[in-house]
Amino acid sequence: MSQGKMPLDRREFLLAGGLVVAGAAAGAAVIVKDRLPGPPQDPTGEQTIRNLNVLQNVKERADEDDHVRMQRELARAMGKPVEQRHWIMVIDIRKCIGCQSCTIGCVAENKLPPGVVYRPVTTREFGTYPNIRIEFLPRPCMHCENPSCVPVCPVRATWKRPDGIVVIDYDKCIGCRSCLNACPYGSRTSDFGRFYSDGAAEGAPAGAGRALDGPRSPYEHQPNNEYSKNWTREGHASPVGNARKCHFCLHRLEVGQLPMCVTTCIGRATYFGDSNDPKSLVVELVTKNNVQVLLEHWGNKPQCYYIV
Amino acid sequence: MAQASAISDVSSSESNTSMGSGRALVMWVIWILLLVAGLAGLWQRFVYGHNAAGYGSYVPWGIWIALYFMGVAIAGGTFVFGAAGFILGWPGFDTKADLRLAIVLSVSAILPAFMVIWLDLGRMDRLYMVFTSATFTSMIAFNAWMYNSFLVVAVLSWLLSFKNESVWLKPLLCLGAFLSILFPSQSGVFFEAVGTKEYWNSPLLSMMFLSSALAAGAGSLLFVRVLFGGKVGASESEGDKAIRRLRVITVLALVVYLAFEFAELSIAVWRPYSESRAVDFLIQGGYWWVFWIVQLLIGAAIPLALYVISDSRAAWAVSSVLLIVGFVAARLGILVPGQVVGQIPGLQEAFQDMRLVYSYHPTSMEYLIGALMVAVGMAVFYVGRRLTVALAAKTEQRA
Repeated sequence: MSQGKMPLDRREFLLAGGLVVAGAAAGAAVIVKDRLPGPPQDPTGEQTIRNLNVLQNVKERADEDDHVRMQRELARAMGKPVEQRHWIMVIDIRKCIGCQSCTIGCVAENKLPPGVVYRPVTTREFGTYPNIRIEFLPRPCMHCENPSCVPVCPVRATWKRPDGIVVIDYDKCIGCRSCLNACPYGSRTSDFGRFYSDGAAEGAPAGAGRALDGPRSPYEHQPNNEYSKNWTREGHASPVGNARKCHFCLHRLEVGQLPMCVTTCIGRATYFGDSNDPKSLVVELVTKNNVQVLLEHWGNKPQCYYIV
Repeated sequence: MAQASAISDVSSSESNTSMGSGRALVMWVIWILLLVAGLAGLWQRFVYGHNAAGYGSYVPWGIWIALYFMGVAIAGGTFVFGAAGFILGWPGFDTKADLRLAIVLSVSAILPAFMVIWLDLGRMDRLYMVFTSATFTSMIAFNAWMYNSFLVVAVLSWLLSFKNESVWLKPLLCLGAFLSILFPSQSGVFFEAVGTKEYWNSPLLSMMFLSSALAAGAGSLLFVRVLFGGKVGASESEGDKAIRRLRVITVLALVVYLAFEFAELSIAVWRPYSESRAVDFLIQGGYWWVFWIVQLLIGAAIPLALYVISDSRAAWAVSSVLLIVGFVAARLGILVPGQVVGQIPGLQEAFQDMRLVYSYHPTSMEYLIGALMVAVGMAVFYVGRRLTVALAAKTEQRA
């Protein structure tokens, strides 16, 4: 630079300042815009009411089974617009026996492939023999009030529904796995496109009586019904490559069925219902028992409560 | 007259930055080897998908993410010094040829970074959605838009540099430099913003990513200048001054990075009764040697010693390469320990699968794609330089 010469003349300086300020302002504007609450991504109002013909012919009893009661409450909740329901799960870990029925029920219901799990049950031992205790902890998606997995999605492929369920649009998810890292509970898993029968019975004679249908078992050709759609995973189709997670069996709720993990729980340790319904079993359990949530310090406000 | 001298300055400088035939041959051999290895990795990626990779659901990001952030850092750092040197008239940076060298190097670093992040996606076919359905609450979307805005600014600046007089060139360079400082530091925010991981939850990360970008950018520019600068001149030439200035910047930025890293780790080490499993993993876990040997010894101590003690340009160029390797290791040292620490005890054992583990071991496919990334970067640089020379010659002819 020759002595005394300015790096930028006045015009260049003004243009540079204008470009930088305009760039910064544009960046700030889009961030602020996206942080403001937007319109709901799901339909709301009358069109979401489901008049389900569930247990209508069975007389209500004071001593009826918890599952029957929850089923009845489910039908009642579905009779309201979606924005007036708020689903929560309550798990009584004093009653959980670690049978993994919920895990397997979920895998079967959602036809989960290897490496994808929505509801594992952890086992922890405390103490030393003979003073020993084993604790089982089922871990579904917490469907947090402040889900840390939602804002990190770059393409709005995951969001919280008006009824509190955090969902994923498999047709939009780009598979960046950002949400997997953001979830402190490890509730999201990635579908790597594997099948349980991959490599099974290799070298076995072919024939009609063979247990496997080509490289895949027959059941693996069946679609799963997550989000009330048919997902086959054939030919790298979604949800292969996507993030996947528990959705409280939304497709079952729509037809008046409890989530599969609730139905299969042989210890009656898992409860599900509408927390906006003051007469519901889940509200009763949460208010009358000592309940805790997992990793409360992150501020996600999980909606899965544990009776301890 | 001034115009004619400017043009002649362009063409002579441009032709000066060509390699000798011996060096060119070595570079071609290296490139072919990297390309062949990279294509083998690409074949694995498309045949076996993500199953050939070492990451899973509990450790979802692996070495490709580290390489991606390295490419982005080099791009940002290179552009900052190219633009600042040109605008401020630093010796050896003040000609348009010097500026174009920095821009081409910057673009050569960011394009392969885009490639590797694209290969990392579970649904590569939906990449376009980052542009059509972006939400800027996500740092990925915000960064993607920033990188692409930067790319547009860089290419426009490169094109404008062929015009004799353009009032837009320096303003655009200012915008590019602004973005170049912003996005490497935002790379740190990318991790900081994951508020539910304690190890990543530190504002120092932004500064670490920024200082490493400045060090890597200056180091890369130094490497390329040494590689092409055999003809730049004697010790007092402008080219030599530029290389010496880059050496000083690289050393300072590296020292600043190490100071930040020390500050970051010392919190965990000296806080009474604290337990940081992530820091323990970093300094004494299975991959302790990545931190102590690759990052600190090979990637920091040796380069620092060579930069400071040696007066050989070749030694400085080697130091720059080691520096980049060290910063890739440093990024892995941020990325992996933050992920291998699960927060729900017993989750890994609850449902067993090779993708549901709190550990990460990079596979050959991931390393081979890393080789492809370097090969693509070299190819882009080569094509960019050829185009630059051709356009400069054309501009001269037209004049």
